[in-house]
Formats: sequence, C-alpha cells, structure tokens
Amino acid sequence: MEFLATIGRVFIKFLSAMGRLSIFAGVSVSHIVRPPFYPRLLLRQIIEIGYYSLPVVGLTAVFTGMVLALQSYTGFARFNAESAVATVVVLSITRELAPVLAGLMVAGRIGAAMAAEIGTMRVTEQIDALSTLSTNPYKYLVAPRLLAGFLMLPCCVLVADIIGVFGGYLISVHKLGFNPSVYIKNTWQYLEFMDVLSGLVKAAVFGFLIALMGCYHGYYSKGGAQGVGSATTNAVVSASILILGCNYLITEAFFAR
Amino acid sequence: MKKIPIKISIHGLSKSFGSKRVLTDLDLDVREGESMVVIGASGTGKSVLLKNIIGILTPDSGSIKIDGVEIVGIRGNARDRINRKLGMLFQSAALFDSLPLWENVSFGQMAGFGMGRDEARANAVEQLKRVGLSESDADRYPSDISVGAQKRVGLARAIATRPEVLFFDEPTTGIDPIMGDVIDGLIVSCVRDLGATALTITHDMESARRIGDRIAMIYEGKIVWVGAVSEIDTSDNKFIDQFVHGRLEGPMAGLITSNASA
Repeated sequence: MEFLATIGRVFIKFLSAMGRLSIFAGVSVSHIVRPPFYPRLLLRQIIEIGYYSLPVVGLTAVFTGMVLALQSYTGFARFNAESAVATVVVLSITRELAPVLAGLMVAGRIGAAMAAEIGTMRVTEQIDALSTLSTNPYKYLVAPRLLAGFLMLPCCVLVADIIGVFGGYLISVHKLGFNPSVYIKNTWQYLEFMDVLSGLVKAAVFGFLIALMGCYHGYYSKGGAQGVGSATTNAVVSASILILGCNYLITEAFFAR
Repeated sequence: MKKIPIKISIHGLSKSFGSKRVLTDLDLDVREGESMVVIGASGTGKSVLLKNIIGILTPDSGSIKIDGVEIVGIRGNARDRINRKLGMLFQSAALFDSLPLWENVSFGQMAGFGMGRDEARANAVEQLKRVGLSESDADRYPSDISVGAQKRVGLARAIATRPEVLFFDEPTTGIDPIMGDVIDGLIVSCVRDLGATALTITHDMESARRIGDRIAMIYEGKIVWVGAVSEIDTSDNKFIDQFVHGRLEGPMAGLITSNASA
C-alpha cells in the first residue's frame, strides 16, 4: 500500500506542477498582448537572446555541417551515392539539426541565465518589491523574455541554417573534392520552402519553451543560493527534454504522411 | 478631543502554511499619521502580517482595510491603486541589482505614474540627497555600495512616490548600531515630512523606541499587547516584560525551544 501511495503522491505532485506551469504560461502570454508594454526590456532580451547567442549557435552549426558532410560522404561512398551529400546536409540542417542544436545550446545559455536572474530576484525579495511598486512581475519580467525567445530563436536558426550549409560546403569542396557549382546546385535542387519553414516553426516553439522554463523555475525558486542553483538546473533539463519531445511532435505534424 | 481616523484596520486575520498556523485571528488598528511598531520574536508572524497587508500573501480569512477599503482579494488595477498609496522598505532593501540607483529610486514613479526618465532622474537625485547620498551616487549600482547605503536607497525608493502609508521590514537588521541609528532617524524624519502613516516590524527594541509612537507585540500569530512607547517599560504584561528585558523565563519560554528545533 505504501508503494501505491508513493506513486499516487508523485502523480498528484506532477499534475499540480503541470497545472501551475499552465497557469503561469497562460497569465504570462496574456501579459504579452495587454498594455503597458516595456519596449526597452524587450529590446534588451532580444539582444541577449538573439545577438549574444549568435557565436555559440554559429560555431555549433558550422561544425555540425562539416561533420555531417564528412559522415554522409563516407557512408554514401559505400553505395556510390556521394552526390546526395549536399541534399542530406541541407535537409538535415534546416529541418532538424539547426533548430534542435541551436535550441539546446540556447537552453544552456539563456534558460540557465533567466532562471538564475529571476531566481535571485525571488530570493532577495526583488520580485516582491516589484509588486509593491505597482509593477506586475509577469509583465515586467516574464512577458518580454517569452516574446524575445519566440521571436529571436528563429532568427538564430536562420543564421545557423546558412552557416551549417556553408560548413558542409567547405568540407565537401575543399576536402572531399566536390565541384563547387554542382554542390550548390544540388543544395538548392531538392530544398523546399517547407524544409526551412518547419525548422523556423520549431525554433519559435523552442525559444518560447526555453524562456518559459527559465522564467518558471526562476519565479518559483526558493531557499537561497541552493534553490537558485536547483532552478537553473531544472530550467535547462526541462527545456532540453521539452525541445526533444516537441521536436518529434512538430516533425510529425509537418512531414508525417 | 478630535478622534483620529483609522488608516489600517485588520480584523480576524488568519494565515496558515500547510498545517502550521502563523496568524490566528489577529486584530490591529493603525491610526492615521501614527508610527506603529510591531515587535515580536523571530517566527511569530511579523513578516507574514506585513506581506498580507501589502498583497504579497493572501490571508486564509479575515479583513484588512486601508482607508476603509477592503483590500483582501483585490487584484489588477484595484490592487495597483492601493499599492500607489504604499511604500515599503524591505529587510534586505531588495534593490533591483540590474538598475542604477537612480532608476531604483524612481522605479515606482516611472512604472506606476508614467513619469519621464529625465524628470524621474532629477527626482531620484533629490530623494538620494534626502537620505544622505550624493548626485554622484545616482549612476552607481546596488552591488557597488554598502548594506547601510542600500537601506538608504531602499528608503529613498519607498518615499519617492510620496506614499500615504509606509512599511518598514526590520529596517536595522544587518547593519551596525550607528548606521541603525542613522536609518531610524531618516525613517522618523521622512515619515514626519510626508505626514504618512507608518507600520514597522522589528525585534530591535532600540529601533522600536526611536521609530514608534505606539507598539504592538505579536506572539503566536496574535497581538498580545498594544500601547504607547512610553508604556513598554512600565507595562505589567508578561509578554512585553519578557521580550523587552530579554528574559529566558516567561510565557514565551516555549518559543525558544520551538525556534531552536525549527
């Protein structure tokens, strides 16, 4: 009986957390569309998420493109399908690797930073102080981050698409001896608008989830430095899991026949 | 004799966290323009009382009225309207560490009253000078200044919007006695200049004597004594007698063991 009670407690706790997260997300989204707005805060988050994430996203993309070209070449060479390398690189990058890897990298960078910043504000009573100064913490802290995450991760992924394909081009042309114009022609030939769009939609969803997890875990952190540390870890882990899970669902929605 | 109206009226206030009852049918009236100090040992519900009044916590039952308006359960614009009447100095000052001092001070004016940045900065500098800081401090950040100076900035932020009611949460905790005296002096002068009503919670008796017109003692979530500052040394109330003289023996002896085991 004790075993069943433990399972029940865990299940109820899970449902309670889901409910709290849903309310948190709903209230936060409602504050995105209701005035007053804080354009300065939004701009700061756009720079933080979009601009400052570009180096790490770009590096991830270029190395991923390079490895992908190398791996697919050595694999496809076994059945004389080397000409498919360009197509495999561009489809893999735009559909999957750029949004997922950029999402995971940004989750580690931005999700952790958001949870740490908001968590510190929580345990040092700064969020309470906001309330007493007639400022809604959801509107001031959470809404700009959610909107910036939603808008900026697709921009990062678009850049990652270009850099990732360029990484594949570099290896294919300069190391594997592909003809540059043929490689570019093959890259464009089978690329469809939907391939890029699906990656950008994924990125928007991932950006929203990363910001949501960072803000949620920070907002409900407690217990001082240890609590903020836990919030940071939880933000990154939960955002990463959600990214991988949602990646499948969005892929299913776009491409399942 | 003219009857002084009640500014803050609290009746039957109860608040629990799980099975732990923190406030139990608490009653307290604060008159307009007076400085009320709530004293009590750690863990007796002082901070919870304050957080219920300023809306950070919601009571389980009971009534809190400011100027006769019920504020329990109000939200949104109605809560904002009430909050514009209030100012609060937090125990840790709770300054926004991503903003310079002047933006901290004028935050309420910009966010709540729509004041422009230039006007807000000029106003913030004025408030900073009022609490003993200079114009050159305005662009510094909270992490650049001492805890005592942070309390001063917190006080400047609390009074910047010229609130009708000021709350002070342990204003002298964590600072040396000399700085505590300075902060208390600033609190008294600011409250007097504004003509505001003040509610302070503290366990520092020296601070309570300096700030308060009246003192209320809280124990186990209830007010067990209320009287003028001048009466605390002559009161025959056993709770106030034990607390003021810091005795181990008395009706609150159990609190020492429960706090130690908490």
